[in-house]
Amino acid sequence: MEELANINWALIAPLIILQFILALVVIVDISCNGATNGPKWLWIIVALFVSTIGPILYFIFGRKSQ
Amino acid sequence: MGQFNTFLLKEWRESWRSFKFIWIPIVFILLGITDPILNYFMEDILNAVGNMPEGFATMMPELHAIDLLAASTGQFQSIGLIVLIASYTGTFSKERQNGTATLLYVRPISFTAMFLSKWIVASSVAIVSAIAGYAGSMYYTVLLYGKVDPARFMAMLGTYCIWLLFVMAVTVAMSAAFKTPIATTITIVLILIGSVVDSIIGGFWTVTPYKLSTYGLRFVDESVTMSIFWSTFILTLSLIFVFVIVGIYFSKKRASTVKV
Repeated sequence: MEELANINWALIAPLIILQFILALVVIVDISCNGATNGPKWLWIIVALFVSTIGPILYFIFGRKSQ
Repeated sequence: MGQFNTFLLKEWRESWRSFKFIWIPIVFILLGITDPILNYFMEDILNAVGNMPEGFATMMPELHAIDLLAASTGQFQSIGLIVLIASYTGTFSKERQNGTATLLYVRPISFTAMFLSKWIVASSVAIVSAIAGYAGSMYYTVLLYGKVDPARFMAMLGTYCIWLLFVMAVTVAMSAAFKTPIATTITIVLILIGSVVDSIIGGFWTVTPYKLSTYGLRFVDESVTMSIFWSTFILTLSLIFVFVIVGIYFSKKRASTVKV
């Protein structure tokens, strides 16, 4: 735990917050949009656990425009 | 003029509703701030996960603000451009495919207004993203490495925005001329493979649009040759003009290929 306290959180916090917002946008988009290419739960997992690239992949390949 | 405003509004709304105005700038900010942070913590990262043998010592190069800006530009030039091209390459061709175009093409519309509105909205998303990304990169660079003259930074940013106008003109023109997969392939070959080729054998010439971002970076360390910069700048502007004309021509010509 001591190591965690030593990290300069002020530097890293924006990175984490932006990743979080990006994942949030994906989830909002998936829940508002009717259909996606491939199962929805898979895209939610990809967006949450693959940082940065996951949401990009969803918006480029997973999104279906009506 | 009224038609142009309507098209502009349509494209604007579409970019908001598909969240392009939110996620592309966020991706650029992430790309921009990753490099300064990563380089700042490089020693810690190597110690923690590098699996280095006991007694291993490295010499870390002393990085200056310009190196970090160059690194961020490199990120924008690869991942950033792929994101921009992939999200706007369907702007004409997807509409023809999914039937939106039939609703438009039955009316007496001006293809010039249509093309320009699409290009302007795509470029404004690109420019907003670039400004956001460079602002993030600059914030961390100033915080961790050192200052950059604001006027020089602005000159670099402006140059990069002209390059993005060129990229979006190519993307939208190709989208007007071909189907989505072909348009994506051609744009990526023209822009990304072109940049790679230019960086490998580009030593033989000095004036190509691909070099514009490099020349922009040279504003920051004051090594830019103004005459070469201006000829590159004017060449890029005229290529933008050519691609806009080509795009308008093809958007008119391909209107008949729309699926009903």
